[in-house]
Amino acid sequence: MTISLLAYLLIPLFSAVLIQFTSRYKKNLADIIANITLFAGFLNISHLIFNTAKTAKFSLPPMAQDTFTLLMIFMIYMVALAVSSFSSGFLTEEKNRHHFHSLILVSVSAMCGIVTAGDFFTLYIFVEALAITSLALIAFDKSKKGLKGAIKYFFLNFSGSLFILLAMAILLFTIGTFSFAGIQHLTDPAYGGHWPFQVVAAIILLLSGFLIKSGIFPFHIQTVAAKQGAYSPVSAFMAGTVTKIAGVYAVIKIAIIFNFFDLKLHEISETLMLIGAISILFGAAFAMRQKDFKKMLAYSSISQTGYIILAAGLATPLALLGAIFHIFNHASFKTILFLNEAGLKKNLNTSDMEKMGGLARSMPWTSWSFVIAFMSAAGLPPLSGFWSKFIIIIALWQGGAKGYAMMAIGASVLTLIHFIILQRKVFFGKISAIAKNAQEMPLPMLAPIIVLCIVILVSGILFPYFYACLIETGIKAIL
Amino acid sequence: MTNIFSIDWYFISLLFFIGLSCILISKNMFKQLIGLEIMSKACLLAVILSGAATNNVNLAQAIAISMILIEAIVITVGLSILIKIYKTTGSLDLRKLL
Repeated sequence: MTISLLAYLLIPLFSAVLIQFTSRYKKNLADIIANITLFAGFLNISHLIFNTAKTAKFSLPPMAQDTFTLLMIFMIYMVALAVSSFSSGFLTEEKNRHHFHSLILVSVSAMCGIVTAGDFFTLYIFVEALAITSLALIAFDKSKKGLKGAIKYFFLNFSGSLFILLAMAILLFTIGTFSFAGIQHLTDPAYGGHWPFQVVAAIILLLSGFLIKSGIFPFHIQTVAAKQGAYSPVSAFMAGTVTKIAGVYAVIKIAIIFNFFDLKLHEISETLMLIGAISILFGAAFAMRQKDFKKMLAYSSISQTGYIILAAGLATPLALLGAIFHIFNHASFKTILFLNEAGLKKNLNTSDMEKMGGLARSMPWTSWSFVIAFMSAAGLPPLSGFWSKFIIIIALWQGGAKGYAMMAIGASVLTLIHFIILQRKVFFGKISAIAKNAQEMPLPMLAPIIVLCIVILVSGILFPYFYACLIETGIKAIL
Repeated sequence: MTNIFSIDWYFISLLFFIGLSCILISKNMFKQLIGLEIMSKACLLAVILSGAATNNVNLAQAIAISMILIEAIVITVGLSILIKIYKTTGSLDLRKLL
């Protein structure tokens, strides 16, 4: 935890409390306060991230200098701002809108806590806080589906946290510390070069806890149910940031801290890569069979998470860079996809793909932003999703995992196919009965989607600049 | 000394897996919640044990107290969801909800 980044944690928390006191009777005030807080934070972090060279001259503590943390905070604020601005148009009939905005702000603050944490116990506390707030967000939808998602999420997530706690106890018992800096200090080659088996057991427990939270293949049941049950903006928030920060961020951090690449941890590394590869294929294959729009997006999210876990398992510097960049890209395109789904559901009252068709004519903006987002998801060249997948595949090839590299290329073709099927069914093709009365989303709902599209385009086209920035500041500090 | 601690680890893992199997086997959500509690008690014991074994009792105490706090919140949230489920479906059977 660093002093300078504490503001990103405390200000949303303060606003969340403020909303509870001020906006009980004036519901619009909640929208305004939440959006202003997130927008201010977003401007602030984007200033910080684009002027890292300048700000590094000031007395930023060592943790803050790694771009990983800054990029994650940028991503959290970006997605939260998009979701909260979208929901102010989406939840117009909801009576408890101020609770919704409060919960979003509290979970933003918990996520900032996770990415700035300096030891496993702080990480654990913020992960629990995040799990509780996201649980409340899922249960916000009072239907049976929402409760079903919430109860699955509850049992899987909190038993996952207990695995993490047990691992922490073992770490305390064997090496006497669980701060990141302390562990990293121990991994210096001078210390011995390999871990005793108790630490390996602790790493396995930690990884299983965080993999449960990231909702990857064997544990996908919770995220699919939760995303299907929850309100659509909540699903966007969950898929874009919450599962990535609570699970995948920690997996990458563990790969960095315990130094999977240099130390003799081939078994864990291989297992992690295998899990990643299985969930890439599983997610893509299951996404193809879904009839429900939202369920399909949830399965495709599992497939994209698989890429990140695959790269984190390899744990070379290049692979980690690709994994970090892919988290960011996944957040931008998956938020667009889920928000588009939300807009369609609000308009048409259904998320069954069979009933839709020919919506491109009545909803052109939705349709074309969807095209940009899924092209980025499938990794087509000018867009940002291409670059991260490209880095991951090159890293896999260099790291000797050529089979996995080929599989990753094949799976991205699968992704493209299932999104093209979806696009044809929903937006193009024969004009269906409900498409005739459909209208374009109002501006407050459309604006965040367009802004995120611009982010995808710009970070794709200007990628060499970002790459230089990331390499210079980030990777040197991490590794 | 080490002998005693290894016996303690045996009981901790026993307690942990009793809780885990309670979550996995039981069909009643309330029993599953109790299983979660048993697991978290095992973790609490493990933390206290590691603190005592490594002469690091202050850190272990701080962690244990924060853990108790978090546990209380988790159980409250879980119970509130169970109440909501009971109000909508009329039972706490997992098979009826799914």
